[in-house]
Amino acid sequence: MSAPVVFDGVWKKFKQGERHDSLRDLIPSAIRALAGRNSFTDLQTEEFWAVEDVSFAVGAGEALGIIGPNGAGKSTILKLLTRILRPNRGRCAVSGRVGALIEIAAGFHPDLTGRENTYLQGALMGMTRAEVAAKFDEIVEFAGINAFVDTQVKRYSSGMNARLGFSIAAHLDPDVLIIDEVLSVGDMAFQEKCLQRMRRFKSQGVTIVFVSHNLQAVTELCDRALYLNRRPCLIGASSDVISRYVKDSFAVSSEAHQGEVQIASAELLHPDGTAVLDAVAPGARLRLSVTFEVVKAIDDVMFAFGVHRSTDQLLVYEGHFSQHELGLTTLTPGRFTVCFEFDSHLIRGQYYFAVFAAHRPTQRYLGRLRPAGHITISESRTWGGVADLNVNASLSTPAPTLSRVAGEPASVA
Amino acid sequence: MSNPSVLASLWTDSREIVAEQYEYRELLFQLTKRDVLIRYKQAIMGFGWAVFMPLLNTAVFSVIFTRVAPLHVDVPYPLFAFLGLLTWNFTASALRFSVGALTGNINLVTKVYCPREVFTISSVLVTMIDTLVGSIVLVAIMLYYHIGPGWAVFYLPLVLLIQVAFTTAVGLFISMANLFYRDVKYLFELVITMWMFATSVLYPTNLITGATGLVLRINPMTAIIDGYRDVLLYGRSPLTPAFMWTSVASLAILLCSAIVFHRAEFRFAESV
Repeated sequence: MSAPVVFDGVWKKFKQGERHDSLRDLIPSAIRALAGRNSFTDLQTEEFWAVEDVSFAVGAGEALGIIGPNGAGKSTILKLLTRILRPNRGRCAVSGRVGALIEIAAGFHPDLTGRENTYLQGALMGMTRAEVAAKFDEIVEFAGINAFVDTQVKRYSSGMNARLGFSIAAHLDPDVLIIDEVLSVGDMAFQEKCLQRMRRFKSQGVTIVFVSHNLQAVTELCDRALYLNRRPCLIGASSDVISRYVKDSFAVSSEAHQGEVQIASAELLHPDGTAVLDAVAPGARLRLSVTFEVVKAIDDVMFAFGVHRSTDQLLVYEGHFSQHELGLTTLTPGRFTVCFEFDSHLIRGQYYFAVFAAHRPTQRYLGRLRPAGHITISESRTWGGVADLNVNASLSTPAPTLSRVAGEPASVA
Repeated sequence: MSNPSVLASLWTDSREIVAEQYEYRELLFQLTKRDVLIRYKQAIMGFGWAVFMPLLNTAVFSVIFTRVAPLHVDVPYPLFAFLGLLTWNFTASALRFSVGALTGNINLVTKVYCPREVFTISSVLVTMIDTLVGSIVLVAIMLYYHIGPGWAVFYLPLVLLIQVAFTTAVGLFISMANLFYRDVKYLFELVITMWMFATSVLYPTNLITGATGLVLRINPMTAIIDGYRDVLLYGRSPLTPAFMWTSVASLAILLCSAIVFHRAEFRFAESV
C-alpha cells in the first residue's frame, strides 16, 4: 500500500506582478493561447517557481513538519495537498478523508450564529448533518463557547472564532490532517489543548502534515521534518532538520556588534579541550571558549554568557561576570580568552549561545555575538520542559505492598 | 486527439462532476440555507422583495399596456405580465446572484477545497425559493381572475427543470467569467436589461415579425416563459417546436458550461 500522502517531483509556478483581470486583457491572452504560447508546465514571462521539485511521502500515523523562511512555499504545499492548487509538474496524491486546519474559520459568516456556522463549516470539511449533530455538544464544549452558541459570530472575539473553527476541525475523523499555523491562535491553555488533540490524532494513526514557524511545536509533534526554501533543502529526522534550519537562519540574522571589546572567536569544547562535534547527553560538562580583542582601553567591563533554545528563542540562562571576577585588572588593547564552563542540564533539543561584553556603568554593549555556537542535547526520557533535573524515580514502599497491587494474595504473617 | 478520446474524456469529466456534486450535497444544502437565513436576517422585508418587485412592475406595465398603448393578449394583462415577470425574475436574479457567487465567496474559493459549482448552484436554488414564495401572489391573482390551470399543470415541473438547467448553465459560465475578468458584472447588467425586452415577459414576441422576430424567437427565455403561460394560463401542452429546441439547447449548454467550469476550476484559486 502506498503512503497516504505522496509528493512526487512537484513543481508549482505563479505569476508575478499585477493581475490582469479586465475584459480588455481577454484579447492579448486569447492571442497568446491561440499562438500556443501558454505552456502549463514551463515558465512564461512574469512567472516564477514557488515550489521546485519537491518529493516526500508521509506514512500512516506519521507526522511531517514543514519549516522554512517566509515565502519558501510552505503554504503552497498545503494548498497543493488540499487540492486547492494543482501542480504544474509532478504528482501529488492524498488518499483518504482529508481534514485541513487552514484558515479554520474561513467558512464562517458573521451574520450567522455559532450553531449555524458549525453546520456550515462542518459541511465544508465534508461532514454530514448527522455527524455534526452527533458531535455538536462536544465541539461547543471543546471550544468553550457554550453560552454563545446562539450568538452571531460577528459578536465573537477573534479567539472564540478561532477556537470554534479548530474545534470543528478537531472533531472530524480524518485520515490525513493538514495543519497550518493554527497554534498561533487562542490562549496558552487552548494551544496546549490543540497540541494534545493533535498528538491523539497521531496516536490514532492519522497522517499529519504540519506547517509552522513554531519550531518547538514541530519538535514536539513531528518525527520527520522538511526544510523548504522553494526547493527542498533537507528532509529527515526533525531534530536534524530543525538544527540545520536554525543555523541557516542565523547565517542571515546573526547579531555581531563590534565596539571597543570585540569578540574574535568562540569555540565549544569538551572539558578535555576537544571540539564538540556531535550531540551531547544532558548534564555533560562543556566549555565555551571565547576570545575577546580589546581595541581601545576601557574599564569596568562585564562579560555575559547566555543560552537560548533555538526552536523558540527562549532564554534558558544568562549570567554576568565582572572584569574583576575574571581577574582582569585593566583592559588594554590585545587579546585574551575567557572560558565559560557549565553543566548542560537541558532536555533534548537545540540550543545556541550568546556572548557579549558590556560597559557596566552605562549598560552599553561593547561587543556582542549571537549565536556564539550551537549545541544539540540528545536523550529520550523527558516529555516536555527545558531543564534536565536529573530525576530518579524509585520505589520506596516495601515489597509486599507491591505484590498486593499486582493482584497476588498477600502473605499472612 | 482523436474523436473517441475526446468523447471519453467528456464522459469522465461529466461523471466526475456529478460524483463530486453528490459527495458535497451537504455543502450545497448548507450554503443554500446560509443564504436564505442571511436574506431573512439582513433585509427587513426578507422574502417580501421576491413578491414586491414583480408586483410593482406588474402595476406599472399594466397601466402602460392597458391604458397608454393597449395590447391584446388572451388572458387579463396583469396576469400575463405578473407570470412573465415572476419567471423572468427567477432567471435574472439567479444570474445576478451567480455573477458574484465565486468572487463573493473568495475566502472559501482560495482556502477550502470543494467543487466550486456549489456556489453557483446554491445561488440558483436560493432564488428558486424566493420565486416559490412569490408564486403565492400568482395563485392569488389567478384566483381573482378565475383562471386555473388544467391538466397541463403536470408539465410544470418539466418547464421548471428546463429553466433551472438553462439558468444554471449561464450562471456557471458568468460566475467563472467574472472571477477571471472582474468587469463581467457591469457587462452583465447591460445585457440582462436588453435581454428582458427581447423576451416575451411583457408582450408576446410573436407580435414582432421579420428578422428581429426570428432573433427573439430563438431566445430560450421566450420559449420557457411561453411554456409557463401554456401550462398555467392557457391549459395546453408546452411542447411546441420552440420549447423542444430550447430544452435540447439548454441541456447541451449546461453540459458544455459545466465541463468548461470543471476544467478551469483548478485555476480559480490562483486568479484572485
